[in-house]
Amino acid sequence: MDHVSFRVARGRFFGFLGPNGAGKSTTIKMLTGLLRPTEGEATIEGHPLAKELLAVKRVIGVLPEELPLYERLTGEEYLHFAGRMYGLSREETRRRTDELLAFLSLEEERGKLIVDYSQGMRKKTALAAALIHSPRVLFLDEPLNGIDPISGRVVTDLLRRLAQKGVTMFFTSHVLDVAERLCDEVAIIDRGRLVAQGTLEQIRAQREVGQDATLEDVFLKLVAADVRREDLSWIG
Amino acid sequence: MARARERAVGLALLLPGLLFSSLFGSFMAYAAVRGAEAHDPAIVLPLISLIATGVGISWMLSPLLAGVALSESHDVSRLLHFPLPLLTLVAASLVGNLLQPMVLAALPVLASLSLALSRSPAAFPFTLAGSLLSLLFLLAAAQVSGLLLHGLSRRRRFQDVAVFLVIGLGFLMSMAPIVLFSGGARFLGRVARGLVGSDLIAFSPFAWGLRAAVHAGRGEALAFLGWAGAQVAAIAGAAAASAALIERIYRGELELAGGGREEAGRAVMRLPGRIGTLLEKDLRVAWRDPATKATLFLSCATPLFWLFVFTRTSGELSPLSLAMLSMLVGASAFGNAFGLEGRGIALLFGFPVERWRILVAKNLSGFTLRLPGLVTLLVMASFLAPRVLLPAAAIGALSTFLVAAGGDNYVSILFPMVAARPGGNPYGGASAGSRGLGAAALGGLFFLATLVVAAPLVFLAWLPMLFELPVLWVVSLPLALAGAGAVYAMLVAGAARVLERRETDLLQRVLGEV
Repeated sequence: MDHVSFRVARGRFFGFLGPNGAGKSTTIKMLTGLLRPTEGEATIEGHPLAKELLAVKRVIGVLPEELPLYERLTGEEYLHFAGRMYGLSREETRRRTDELLAFLSLEEERGKLIVDYSQGMRKKTALAAALIHSPRVLFLDEPLNGIDPISGRVVTDLLRRLAQKGVTMFFTSHVLDVAERLCDEVAIIDRGRLVAQGTLEQIRAQREVGQDATLEDVFLKLVAADVRREDLSWIG
Repeated sequence: MARARERAVGLALLLPGLLFSSLFGSFMAYAAVRGAEAHDPAIVLPLISLIATGVGISWMLSPLLAGVALSESHDVSRLLHFPLPLLTLVAASLVGNLLQPMVLAALPVLASLSLALSRSPAAFPFTLAGSLLSLLFLLAAAQVSGLLLHGLSRRRRFQDVAVFLVIGLGFLMSMAPIVLFSGGARFLGRVARGLVGSDLIAFSPFAWGLRAAVHAGRGEALAFLGWAGAQVAAIAGAAAASAALIERIYRGELELAGGGREEAGRAVMRLPGRIGTLLEKDLRVAWRDPATKATLFLSCATPLFWLFVFTRTSGELSPLSLAMLSMLVGASAFGNAFGLEGRGIALLFGFPVERWRILVAKNLSGFTLRLPGLVTLLVMASFLAPRVLLPAAAIGALSTFLVAAGGDNYVSILFPMVAARPGGNPYGGASAGSRGLGAAALGGLFFLATLVVAAPLVFLAWLPMLFELPVLWVVSLPLALAGAGAVYAMLVAGAARVLERRETDLLQRVLGEV
């Protein structure tokens, strides 16, 4: 990352976008204490990350891109474990687990080991674990990858409602039309550098693209993508 | 590039051993056959059949017995969408196996065996043909078993059972010297003599080609043709079975391991507090992970081995030996506090839990996983030593464990193991499961320090023995344990501070992101 600096207001749905290898996941890892930045600082909900790591971890929920779940626990056990590790009581953990499993259509799979889950079920389980302690900030790295369209709709509706209730969303996705629908504000990074930040309207105005330009159009222009249009010579 | 280098190093290490064993095997095969012919020609057929069958079964089960297949059952699933007949794929796989190092190493042995069986030079091509037919059947049979195991391993539950069995068999093999020294060799000899005497192994298809070779060597053309024909039919049958298996397994028509959903018990974490929750999670994960579950049983091997060594001469266990053994079992805490986590360590450190609690929970998990070793020691010691010594042995082991676990936390934090990436080779590159030379040196120092620090506590536990006043144990045992507890508390407090400072570095190293 190269001198990236941004501020996300509480309750905003913030999209962090960029091509592969731009540094999206690295940023999330640094903001959640999994990577140490060589310089710079971050403050989350008033807690400086470097000094109050545990306090930061109490208020955040993380859905990482790689899902290192405990594969030999069942989905239900994993949620119970997560709830107890966040300091919830046994009863409260049980109540929230039941609700989350039903909400994410995982009830039938609750007794199955995670090792036997599909990618989508893993993603939903990890999302449930990120939500179980009612975090004030959610870091979501490609949350919709591998999730079926119905669950995808359920998840996006839930995330939108959470944002309305004041939960801050830090969201990365390659699916730009989803980002356009969900995000109040976006930041676009390319090769570790921030190239734009603001609402879509603000970025359109800054970069002098037409008012009808989609987020995808803006994104392709900003990262100077070379989209090949010629056909393969032997096909057809 | 890295894989090619690994392969080259592997071959460089393997080749001298293979060359030596091939030459040695050739010499032994020649000498054994000539010796048997001179001693009693009638035993040559059953003896060769028995050996061929033993080798064949071991070869077929080599993935289970040794964890490595001696010849490959090539994964042809990626080739199924090309317009190729299945038998072509099977044949290509068999031919491909002829270039495997283990197969090439077997060729001189077979040539030497064929030479020994030939009573005239003209018979040699026929004896060699018979021997090669046996080898070809062995490869075809190994292909069938490999495909079966491959098909079965598509079911996670079977794969778990297989991993557990492999490790269990390894454990039993490691106990083989004890069994052999304790009269097992005589029993195995009687079984082998019975099998050779009755020639029951004549029905084993692994030997039919070699039986043909024996008859060819003696100039018995009809018998040669009969056994060789039977071997060719067996090879064709095995190839057909392979083709059928490939078709049915890869097209998903064969439910080899049956259905059945795994139902876990109650999901609620029963143990209190975050330490309890973490411990319970570790125990559930360990019990369901075949490799970790196997370590529960493997931890019994060390005390059994040392008990065997210590009691070999007198048949009894002296108090000094028991004290030393209890320290050795206790010091086995040196491992890796975060070993059970793997890449899950990123999850673990994502929870807002004080780091000293994590360390204590991890040490408790380590102790629980090593408990079978301590129980084995105490149970065996109750037969081999005065039972009055058992409490002192238990406290000695526990005190040493506390000191060792406290020290090991530092090594685990400063020299963490890299966890393999999902789907990555757990034994390759930076994920070789090694903490490097620095960790080995520091681990060695900590091990010595553990013994030095634990020795006075163990001495305190055993002090009443010197005065022959067992009643003093009421005082000495709690004192020793309290001392060990105090040392442990200091070590954990220090390790937790180190962990807080180095947490991000630890995560980056375990996740291979440095």
